Formats: sequence, C-alpha cells, structure tokens
Amino acid sequence: MGKSPPITNRVRELREANGPMSQQALADAIGVTRQTIIAIELGKYSPSLESAFRIARVFGVGVEDAFGWKG
Amino acid sequence: MSFREKSAWAMAAVMALTGLFYLRLAVAVPADAPPVAQLGPLVPYVLAVSFASIVVQVALAVFNLRDARKPADERERQAIHRAGHSAGIVLAVVVVSAAGSYLVQGNGARLFQWVIGGLIISQFAGYGLQVYFFRRGV
Repeated sequence: MGKSPPITNRVRELREANGPMSQQALADAIGVTRQTIIAIELGKYSPSLESAFRIARVFGVGVEDAFGWKG
Repeated sequence: MSFREKSAWAMAAVMALTGLFYLRLAVAVPADAPPVAQLGPLVPYVLAVSFASIVVQVALAVFNLRDARKPADERERQAIHRAGHSAGIVLAVVVVSAAGSYLVQGNGARLFQWVIGGLIISQFAGYGLQVYFFRRGV
C-alpha cells in the first residue's frame, strides 16, 4: 500500500520527446485517466501489460524501451 | 482530481452526514421499544441517503460530463476493488462485535441498530479508502 512497485519507466521522457505530448493526450490515447498517467510517471502505479503495450505503441517503441525492472 | 475521486469524496460526505442523521434518530428510540419501532429511523435514513446520493451524483455528472461518461480505468477499478474488500472487513468486525454484545446483553434492538450502523460505517470506510487508494496508489 503506497509502496512503489519495482518497475521503472521512461513515460515522461518519451512523452516530452514526442511533441511534447500532454498527459491528457496520452491518457486519451490509451484509455485511462490523466491521474493514472501521473501515477505511472511518478512510479506509484504499474500499468497492466495491455496498457504498457498501448503506451509503447503510442511512442513507436518496444515495451522494454518504455518499461524496465528496478535493480 | 479525477471524476471517481470527486465522487468518492462526495459519497463519503453523504455517508458521514446521513450516518449522523441516522445516529440522532436511532438514539431517540428507547432500547425496550417494540421491534417495529426500531425500524422507525431506517425509513427517513433510506430516503435521505437515496435523495442525497442522487443529487450529488447528478451534480457531479453535470459539471464533469465528459469524465462521467467514461468507465473507471484499470487503476481506479483496482482502488475501488481494494476499498470494497476493506469495507467488507469493517462490516464484518462491526457485525461480529454486535453479535458478541448480543450474547452478553441479550439486547436485540441494539444488535439491529449496530448492524445497520455497521453498514453505514462500512460504506463510509469504503469511500474513504477509495480516496486513499486513488491518492496513495494501489
């Protein structure tokens, strides 16, 4: 509860490199709320595999380029 | 703040205020009153909580039309699910405590009021925990 999951991500970096794309635009593109994108970027929430693939596809990268395992 | 979080805040407030209303009505009923009299506070409570919930949800939907139409996303569903699970535990604790109290005191009216009160408390806890999980992560 409240503990950061062991998954890292480059979502903010990818978003800023693509436009920058707003959090709301990314949220709309993958079908979640802006608050969920904020939680992912802050490392407070690990998205489902489906959302991880959707995020990666939005930026045209592989899942492993957008997400990683801590440590 | 997301639509679901606003809704959870609003419903927690509704449950707290209507819960206090129920408490005020319930303490006015004597413990030795006939069983049907114990139902007295329940009718105005159900009307109050139904009316307040509808008003709050309609107001939230009107001011957040776009978000209100969208279903909860995966993170919100997890938060709602976890909050519901914890609210169930709260209800179980209150009901078991009330049953224990009945075994000792044999007061059925008090048992009835505690079970209804437990439902209100668990609903309040459920909405409060939704807010917590929305903010702190699931």
